[in-house]
Amino acid sequence: MIARERLNQLKDKFGSAILRADLPSDRQLFVWVQPEAVKELCRHIFRDLDARYVISIGADDRPFSGKFIVAHDFAFDTDHVLCSLLAQLPGDEPKIESISGVVPAANWAEREMRDLVGIESVGHPYPKRLVLPDGWPEDVHPLRKDVPWNHVPPEFKEGASFEFEKTPEGCTVVPFGPFHPTLDEPAHFRLYVEGEMVRGCEYRGFMAHRGIEKLAESVMSYNDIPVLAERICGICGCVHSVAYTQAVEAAAALRPPPRAEYIRTILLEMERLHSHLLWVGLACHIVGFDTLFMQAFRIREPVMWMAEKITGNRKTYGLCVVGGVRWDITPELKAELNQTLNKLQAEWEPLVGAVSRDKNIQKRTRGVGVADRNVVKNAGAVGPVARAAGVDIDCRRDHPYAAYDRVDFRVITATGCDVWSRVVVRMKEVFESIAIIRQCLEKMEPGPLQLEIKDELPVGRIGLSSVEAPRGESHHFVITGENNRPRRWRVRAPTYQNLQAVPAMIRDQQIADMTISLGSIDPCFSCTDRMETIELRSGERKTWPQKELLALSQGKK
Amino acid sequence: MQVVWAIFGSALNIALVLSLAPLLHGVMRRITARIQSRQGPPLLQPYFDLLKLLGKEDIESGETPGMQRLAAWLSLAAVLAVACLLPMGFGAPLNLAGDVILLIYLLTLCGVSTLLAGMAAGSTYSLIGVSREMMTMITLEPLLAMALVVGALHAGSLRLDAVLNGSVYMGGSVPWSGLIMVTVMLLSLQAFVQRVPFDVAGAETELMEGPLMEYSGPKLALFQLANMARLVIYCAVFAGLFLPWGSQMPFPLGWLLFWVKVFALVLLVTLVAATHARYRIDQALRYFASLLGVSAVALVLATFGY
Repeated sequence: MIARERLNQLKDKFGSAILRADLPSDRQLFVWVQPEAVKELCRHIFRDLDARYVISIGADDRPFSGKFIVAHDFAFDTDHVLCSLLAQLPGDEPKIESISGVVPAANWAEREMRDLVGIESVGHPYPKRLVLPDGWPEDVHPLRKDVPWNHVPPEFKEGASFEFEKTPEGCTVVPFGPFHPTLDEPAHFRLYVEGEMVRGCEYRGFMAHRGIEKLAESVMSYNDIPVLAERICGICGCVHSVAYTQAVEAAAALRPPPRAEYIRTILLEMERLHSHLLWVGLACHIVGFDTLFMQAFRIREPVMWMAEKITGNRKTYGLCVVGGVRWDITPELKAELNQTLNKLQAEWEPLVGAVSRDKNIQKRTRGVGVADRNVVKNAGAVGPVARAAGVDIDCRRDHPYAAYDRVDFRVITATGCDVWSRVVVRMKEVFESIAIIRQCLEKMEPGPLQLEIKDELPVGRIGLSSVEAPRGESHHFVITGENNRPRRWRVRAPTYQNLQAVPAMIRDQQIADMTISLGSIDPCFSCTDRMETIELRSGERKTWPQKELLALSQGKK
Repeated sequence: MQVVWAIFGSALNIALVLSLAPLLHGVMRRITARIQSRQGPPLLQPYFDLLKLLGKEDIESGETPGMQRLAAWLSLAAVLAVACLLPMGFGAPLNLAGDVILLIYLLTLCGVSTLLAGMAAGSTYSLIGVSREMMTMITLEPLLAMALVVGALHAGSLRLDAVLNGSVYMGGSVPWSGLIMVTVMLLSLQAFVQRVPFDVAGAETELMEGPLMEYSGPKLALFQLANMARLVIYCAVFAGLFLPWGSQMPFPLGWLLFWVKVFALVLLVTLVAATHARYRIDQALRYFASLLGVSAVALVLATFGY
């Protein structure tokens, strides 16, 4: 009972500040504390107990309890425990002492909390706007329950712009983004550059915030949200959909049937395969080696076809419902998937060899974008960024979900802390993913795909779920609610923490290394659409169906 | 007669370079695509691309539009002027109008026009590109100058027809300086034609084409055509200086052989570009500096007749 041990440790030290504790399982620990003690508790958990900071969540609970809720999530990775530290704040004046001073990784989460829920973090070291656009009025907080989901405040100022800090002396400003060939989504880094050296930077992102959480909390229902969650990311959609359903299942104490868990595992690993194959290619493209980029994409393509065969789609699998999955893997699909994996392994090995032997790529990536243990800890970085710095964390092993407790795999780590180590980690993880899928296919027993849920889901319960996405841990936090939808759903994608490590990674490096350093945390990619051509002279339209496009591009009929 | 020949030969060289450069570019793209397991664009695609760009609106987006326009013309003009000075399968049309010194100046002018273009555009990325281009030029241009001087030393003349005739190999029984120079130039050819791994000034994934990022429409078309022509020109200089064999053959044979040589060099450039990652500017400069050291040795050897 390691979760109880941790709780007792906290009780010994902070006895009177702890109001209530829930231990729904040995894997999750919820501690309700007095707001005044939150900062010291966080410091203790983060520094003394050496837990990993995951995310902070703010929730508007006024319609139900008259209060606001603040939650700080931590992970005890070696103990296999996810811990949430919760506090209630008065409904009329939601203020709490900032923890960013003692837990630097909370910097963004606290600013987001202020923007979206209006919970003020007092004493925040960098209290600038994070999520909301610059013209948005100060006192409108979209995630509050009294703000409708489609509300546009009339006071919105069109032309307002972000105020950057003063440029350091001797430096010139190089604007990186919002649009840049290696940025797949709009984000802006204001680089302070001295000659070719980057001396510092300031970040302004969230330019395409889509309000997904608000939409889920006010319009959709429990089983609509997995489909929405899938659209959070252009690559790891399945990860978000699984993480959300698992969080709801954890809150409602449901467990999907074993076959469903195996199928989730298989598709999660297929997603990791295509993501890593894409990323290694992209890394080569960024350093100008387009041949390996193209080859990586060629090798990756059959994985996408296989996903399409299983789920009907290359990327948005539409896989999860609360309590199970929607697609089965038939014996024919199983055989075909095995073949695809064999081919993939046979083709991936020489490519790994080619990358490993190439001196040029190593010249561009060794000692570049360094994020050591310290940076990882302070930014809360996860996934290959952490593992490349020798931090041995992987949610699949540390917080097992789906069928990961029934398969054997290695967690790949490296010690270089640089971009090259991240390349190596990702290249090797591909082989582990192949092995995991093979084991799942072998061990999967026939059985039902979905749990029969007869009762309504209980209200006001909290569920946590961490899923290891290709770029690191995706963490979802759910408070169940009325009307067949959650009261609060908070998504923390791995990039949210990893991006906070980027300023440390690029400082005192050449500007040429900026793109590969940023690329090494793995940015997102959007999928292509079908296209339509119009003959100008005759005005004749021709729609190119998939078959013809495929034939056109690769000769595949 | 000589005047007529000069005019006719120049026109022929210019026409050939202008019309064949996009085709060679198309070949490059096709071969690259094959190496990358792709189908690649049609061979004539670069012509269509250029025509499309020429038909587009001429947007003035830089700081000094007049200078930008001048730079675009200058880069193409410089390349074409070089075309008149080179033996391309037959004697150089403007053989006596200039010597190798003029050749060096004109080739440098191509680079200078890129600098002008970037500075006239005035955006941050252009300026970073310009500073990289400048650093590259300072270390790179002496290499070509040294190769030509080695040739001139052996030939005892600065005349184009004397130097661009394999003169680098004329020292002694084992032409040490010539052999060293041909190696150095082979190792740096990629940088002269600005392809991977030495396309640091334009580096698409870092600087978004660097000096050219503010260019679109007809001005971009001129620059692209100049860059394609530049590949042909440098291959022609290389062929004249280091691969003289067979150029004395009667007209159609020698002329065809010349284009075969150019094609082979383009093929080499393509293969290297498709199998390398881009260097960082400091890594590239260190590489050029070591080549510079080696070629200085060749120069010393050449002065002593080896």
